[in-house]
Amino acid sequence: DALLSCHRSYRSRPTHGIGRYKYLLPKETPKKKKDRVQMKEINTGTEYEYGDINIQMTSYDLCLVEHFAQYVHRLCNRLSVRVNESYAMPTRTNEVLFLEERGSKMQLDAVLTTHQRIVQISGLSSTFAPILLEIIQSNQPEGVHLLMKEHTEADFKSRLKSRPELEELLAQMT
Amino acid sequence: SSWLPQGFPLRGSHWQSSLLELRTSLPVRAQPKKKKKVDVRKEQAQKDRLKKKIKKLEKAAPELIPIEDFITPPQYLDSNRVRSLPALSPEETERRVLLLKRWCLFKQKQDEAEKKAIQTLVESQQEALKELRLESEELYQAAIRRDEGLFPFERDGPKHTPPLPGYDPPEGKCVDITKVYTQ
Repeated sequence: DALLSCHRSYRSRPTHGIGRYKYLLPKETPKKKKDRVQMKEINTGTEYEYGDINIQMTSYDLCLVEHFAQYVHRLCNRLSVRVNESYAMPTRTNEVLFLEERGSKMQLDAVLTTHQRIVQISGLSSTFAPILLEIIQSNQPEGVHLLMKEHTEADFKSRLKSRPELEELLAQMT
Repeated sequence: SSWLPQGFPLRGSHWQSSLLELRTSLPVRAQPKKKKKVDVRKEQAQKDRLKKKIKKLEKAAPELIPIEDFITPPQYLDSNRVRSLPALSPEETERRVLLLKRWCLFKQKQDEAEKKAIQTLVESQQEALKELRLESEELYQAAIRRDEGLFPFERDGPKHTPPLPGYDPPEGKCVDITKVYTQ
């Protein structure tokens, strides 16, 4: 098929299939859309290394949190700290209602969106961890809430869609 | 006149099958035994159906919740909204370009100072650890160990202004209206 799909097909001539090159390229495996479940946690060794750590940045301001996440990612690249993943959590929308001075009606004040970005690093050595923490803290912009914690399965599952039908059926089974 | 030979025992009812034992077989009028079998089969069939449904649902891979940040709202895609900027004079552009260059230089110096600070921090830490090792091996090992109380670490960003003294916020509440996605 590769020989015949080209538009100049003088099959009898010795120059047939002259422009072929795709057979020389490495074979591309078809992409499977499956999320791999978990990464292993590193917790051993006398010269301790921390396992997977999530740096979570939360703020109301989207651009600020996005830029800070990019800064942290580049910082880790520069300091040769391995970055596993860098993703965003779904945005939360909050409606702020306040009680009017006269009257019992709740008035709509604002609609705020909370954005969260996560940079996941691993293989952080125990001597370097406080230094990294110090750098990130000193460059933390205003309004951005920083949280560093270990990566757990619950954290991973909070990114996935809930499946009420499956849960119902599993509850019926047991 | 009925007479029975002495060796012949009396039968209480015709349900008693054997002469010597007590009543063992139930009076079988309605058929409960068959109902039990059908129930067990029905239950098993139900369980199998449930298992099949669960397998089918579990085959589908779990999906990630779509993030609204990365989807541009359609109101910004429809019309060609072009901002009309005022024309700048050459002096203004010159001033801006020079300002940009000065800012770039300032930021570069700041970044280099930061890198140098990190470098000195790491070096001094390594030196201190070396000296500690020479002092005592035990303390060195204890210092190398990782800190369990370090994570989870939480810190709020610096605020623009300090909190106002005697500020009375109005009463109200926050309602979470995020869209819940189900698979």
